[in-house]
Amino acid sequence: MPSVTFEHVTKRFGDATVIEDFDLQVADGELLVLVGGSGSGKSTILRMLAGLETVTSGRIRIDDRDVTDLAPRDRDVAMVFQDYGLYPHMTVRDNLSLGLRLRKIPRHEIDRRVAWAAGMLGLEPLLDRKPKALSGGQRQRVAMGRAMVREPKVFLFDEPLSNLDAGLRAQMRIEIGSLQDRLKTTTVYVTHDQVEAMTLGDRIVVLADGRIQQIGRPIELYRTPVNRFVAGFIGTPAMNFIEGTLAADGGRMFFSAEAARLKMRAGTAESSEPITLGIRPEDLRMDFIPQQPTHGSADFDTLTGRVVLVERLGGTSHVHFQVGPHRLMASVASDSLPEVGHDITAHVPAARVHLFGGDGRAIGRTAEIV
Amino acid sequence: MRAEQKTASLMAGPYAAFLLVFAVYPIAFALVLVFLQWDLVTAPTFAGADNIRLLVHDGRFWSAVANTFVFLSIHVPLQIITALALALALNRQLVGRSFWRAAFFLPVVISGAVVAILWSNLYATDVGLINHLLVKIGLSPVPWLTDPRTAMPAIAVMVTWKNVGFYVIIYLAGLQYIPRSCQEAIEIEGASAWQRFRYLTLPSLLPQTILVVTLSTINGFQLFIEPYVMTGGGPLRRTYSVVLYLYNNAFAYQKMGYAATIGVALALIIGIVVFAQRRLIGKAEAL
Ligand SMILES: Nc1ncnc2c1ncn2[C@@H]1O[C@H](COP(=O)(O)OP(=O)(O)OP(=O)(O)O)[C@@H](O)[C@H]1O
Ligand SMILES: [Mg+2]
Repeated sequence: MPSVTFEHVTKRFGDATVIEDFDLQVADGELLVLVGGSGSGKSTILRMLAGLETVTSGRIRIDDRDVTDLAPRDRDVAMVFQDYGLYPHMTVRDNLSLGLRLRKIPRHEIDRRVAWAAGMLGLEPLLDRKPKALSGGQRQRVAMGRAMVREPKVFLFDEPLSNLDAGLRAQMRIEIGSLQDRLKTTTVYVTHDQVEAMTLGDRIVVLADGRIQQIGRPIELYRTPVNRFVAGFIGTPAMNFIEGTLAADGGRMFFSAEAARLKMRAGTAESSEPITLGIRPEDLRMDFIPQQPTHGSADFDTLTGRVVLVERLGGTSHVHFQVGPHRLMASVASDSLPEVGHDITAHVPAARVHLFGGDGRAIGRTAEIV
Repeated sequence: MRAEQKTASLMAGPYAAFLLVFAVYPIAFALVLVFLQWDLVTAPTFAGADNIRLLVHDGRFWSAVANTFVFLSIHVPLQIITALALALALNRQLVGRSFWRAAFFLPVVISGAVVAILWSNLYATDVGLINHLLVKIGLSPVPWLTDPRTAMPAIAVMVTWKNVGFYVIIYLAGLQYIPRSCQEAIEIEGASAWQRFRYLTLPSLLPQTILVVTLSTINGFQLFIEPYVMTGGGPLRRTYSVVLYLYNNAFAYQKMGYAATIGVALALIIGIVVFAQRRLIGKAEAL
């Protein structure tokens, strides 16, 4: 039985439809990540599940209980907010225990749960402090502890890490992941950070304009994005795109664009519409000596271009290069790097190429990618 | 740097002069007057500690102090409750919210004497609106301002009404500072409307409450215009406030030295009371 179910949920603010016909099932114990750009409706979905926002139409269920019209406190969910929402006038201990006291949980049980959560999150030395005497990461932990002690059916996270610096964010990401692994509490986690989504999610829902673009395991979204939006959104650095057309030549399909001609893998369907080719920066292989003065090799699996920028990140580097009018980027090992202004050749493995039709939908996805 | 300092002192000059003339000078003058006898007509004479000795044994002064405490014990709690309740009401999505805010603020800027006359009419025993309504619902009229038991409470209610708009603004500002996520968190955690108020709103408004207590106390100790206009200090001297006594000593009995002594004593009492209040509230917060 799914733990959380959205059925045809629509949300309008005045005339603006923010969420349209949203359907989703979250499995028991699953960590589901909602990811999307700003304004895509992630928070709205989470807040509707929490009961902080009404739904315009449709139903929401938690387990087999219809919670659509229930008050937030009757839904048995706990939420961690972006700015934590800690009670500023209360100590950490009181922040953790208030929800239990309000629910008339016996004193010894409250003490047990607070001690348990504080132990798990390393909050023991901080229990008598007030939130303003805590660092950002500590506040974040208190907010999580406050959710944990409730032992709710569902955890809701709304961008819980976005107020932390990069290092702490990476650390807390790991902590949240391992906590959820141990607790096995169904979790809906909202973020705009696709790295968080990839690393944390059992499954990811990619949203744009209040509509689901794709639902799947992280690796599925990475390998087989169903449309150009998902392809561009999932994966860092972002996928390269080239606009062009497909045409058959001697029994094989070729992708053609200005300054580029690439052989597609066998089985690629013919198409007359404008095509977008996508290739991930890490799937490009680079040669620093151009093999031919013409475009690509005779095998038509290369692009020739000129390096315009090299970003050295340490172990890997980003090489930006210009192929005719197309600006592309390859992610390569930093051992040997080309100089700006030099010509290079980039191999484009046909098996790694993504093709998108005029409407942005992925096409020709018949062969399995290894 | 020197030029900047020059500009700074030039710009501060007018205010400093204002402070000197209207605050420092009167305070210094009052402190001097404490040790003088002066009827405003003949030259002042040195009186040593006579005024102070007189004050300590002056039953009228101490009964005025007691009256003022009676006033405060009604006014301050009532002011907190009304201002907080109105602020909570006005903080919602309300039709004509800015109209209501303005409406409640209006009495603050109306002259105290005008308000006192208006309320004298409302409180009037035979023709007042309040008694008219009481009679309508079958109760007997109350001689609000002429019964020694009700006169001071009636004045306290009126002063509370007059000032409520000012304190509402203080509370409204405080309400803006309660983060939305805190309010939503406590809602999800299971708090009822009352529990949200009890555990989040009220404690979050502690700084505002301290301010309201302090200001309404200081303001209340200066109670004057209302008894002066409405009751003249009666009935049975029950509404005789400290400042009314001070005023009468100065301008009815021409005892400037004694009036100044009362003023200085009042300032001391206010200081002690406000200090005690802060200590008490600080203790309450720690609980
Ligand atoms: N109370 C509201 N009234 C009107 N419009 C709203 C309201 N809340 C949200 N919206 C609109 O709904 C859309 C989705 O908002 P939402 O907060 O869900 O986005 P989000 O995906 O969480 O974005 P972000 O990453 O910026 O937090 C936005 O266009 C926003 O302007
Ligand atoms: Mg959001």
